[in-house]
Amino acid sequence: MLDFFREISQTLSHNKVRTALTGIAVTWGIFMLIVLLSMARGVTNSFNENMVSRNNARLMVWSGSTSLPYHGNREGRRIRMKDKDLTSIPEKTPEYVEEVTSRISGGEKMSSTKAQISQSYTGVYPNELTSSGNMGDMIEGRFISDKDLKSKAKVMVIPQSYATQLFPPDGKNALGSRINCNGLSFLVIGIYESRWNRDVYIPFTTARMMASDKEDLRTLSINLKNVHTEQDGNDAESAVRNTLASNHDFDPKDDNAVYISNYFTNSLQSKKALGILDTCVWILGILTLLTGIVGISNIMFVTVRERTHEIGIRRAIGARPRQILNQVIVESVSITVLFGYIGIVLGMIVTQIIAKVVGDDGPLLNPTVSLSIALEVTLVLVIAGALAGLFPALKALKVKPVEALRDE
Amino acid sequence: MEMIKLTDVNKTYPGAVPLHVLKGINLEIEKGELVSIMGASGSGKSTLLNILGILDNYDSGEYYLDGTLIKNLSENKAADYRNHMIGFVFQSFNLINYKNAVENVALPLFYQGVSRKKRNRIAMEQLEKMGLADRAHHLPGEMSGGQKQRVAIARAMITNPSIILADEPTGALDSKTSHDVMNIFRKLNEEEGKTIVIVTHDPGVAEQTDRLIRISDGIIV
Repeated sequence: MLDFFREISQTLSHNKVRTALTGIAVTWGIFMLIVLLSMARGVTNSFNENMVSRNNARLMVWSGSTSLPYHGNREGRRIRMKDKDLTSIPEKTPEYVEEVTSRISGGEKMSSTKAQISQSYTGVYPNELTSSGNMGDMIEGRFISDKDLKSKAKVMVIPQSYATQLFPPDGKNALGSRINCNGLSFLVIGIYESRWNRDVYIPFTTARMMASDKEDLRTLSINLKNVHTEQDGNDAESAVRNTLASNHDFDPKDDNAVYISNYFTNSLQSKKALGILDTCVWILGILTLLTGIVGISNIMFVTVRERTHEIGIRRAIGARPRQILNQVIVESVSITVLFGYIGIVLGMIVTQIIAKVVGDDGPLLNPTVSLSIALEVTLVLVIAGALAGLFPALKALKVKPVEALRDE
Repeated sequence: MEMIKLTDVNKTYPGAVPLHVLKGINLEIEKGELVSIMGASGSGKSTLLNILGILDNYDSGEYYLDGTLIKNLSENKAADYRNHMIGFVFQSFNLINYKNAVENVALPLFYQGVSRKKRNRIAMEQLEKMGLADRAHHLPGEMSGGQKQRVAIARAMITNPSIILADEPTGALDSKTSHDVMNIFRKLNEEEGKTIVIVTHDPGVAEQTDRLIRISDGIIV
């Protein structure tokens, strides 16, 4: 086998310039394929990062005003969502709804023994930590638990920046300290990494207790279950809308009474779009590569034609037709793979540079080519090279050993 | 014992006007003979050489080479027989121009699957016999006509074939070099007992062989 490749490399290096010029087309094709694929990968990674960090099987409901008259009520009536929606929605649509949560904000100031800041609190459910995607990771302590919720505990989870402000100089002793808010004393049970989100969290039930009972819920966050397809997502959405319509007596067809954002179907659609993007990139890349392949095929034809006499000699001294066929095809595959790999390496270098320039926060996250793509591309190269060499090789096969006797 | 035995071999080239080139050739060449085949151009001499060298098929009759019937062979079988039983020497040398002398000589063994090390060693021995050890790593373009033909003979000899078929081996050489090349053939014939068939139109070459076979208009005369 090694011997065979030595034979190939000898014939290829015999015509260095031509081999190189032909190969550049393949290098370019693969280069484009790699760069495009990794860009697409970057967009996908970035999307997945945003999606994975939050729970996608979720609906968000905002209250609105009716736009259709219903049951004797005029249009333009404001829909007021109440705490009973939190329990009635899971009860009435048990097949799709796992849990309904909401949030209540309030307060203006909070203070420690050392400092005071202007900041409101937000009453949330324990699932805020995983489902919203707004929060940074917990650094110290824990998040609000179900037990806190049940006991209306006066506990607080604060971002690190407030920990340092309220407990100077470095906020190290913030955990376990107390913060005063609206005349109540809260225990700091957790500190999270502050990014753009700097909410102060307390249990929903505690916030409800502090607020007036009349206060409406502006949003509902509904965690779904048993949803797999886009159809499931749409069914769940209309089931929730119907329940709210009967709770608040509005027309289920009224899109303005409540606004529902369906994270589940949105993410499915985005995923589909990304899949299409990936496919388009492959098609584009392979078409570019095709130009290179046609070039290789062309040059192999020329080579076979030029070497008719040589092939005749080889046949005369005992080369089997199969050996000639293999030689031409392997030559073609060798050129393709060799120059293809140059393209892969160049493509990876350029992608790494782009990744460095764009950084992690941009629309591209880690836009690099995975091992599986490299393997796929290699497979494409080998097949392409073999195809490029096949027809010239069949032509070479027709060369009769008598050719050796003809004068050059 | 006959090395080559042709019985009533006919060959017609099809076409608008079919060309009956060989009209019942009967020919026997003994093992260890050094013979020459002469004939005018168009006499069927080249066709006969092609058939002897298993480069072409014939239509009817029988051709035994070293006791093996050579008829209607598959391409693979023909390739194997050429590789093992026949050594070719051509007028225009037919060396591969980007391979050096050793690689050219070793090429038939490459198609037998002999390892590179081994076939280069055997090729070196053949070149030494031809007095070309110092040229082993030269390309054909860097050698004289006589040297190239000696490399070609070394290549023909490397598989230890039953016969050497030489097609106008001195056609491209001057008279002194021709003489040297003929001496090599004579030496191979006398010292190693090789059966050698030389196709030529040079009477001077034919004179140096044991037997002269004349072909005219498709039959042996």
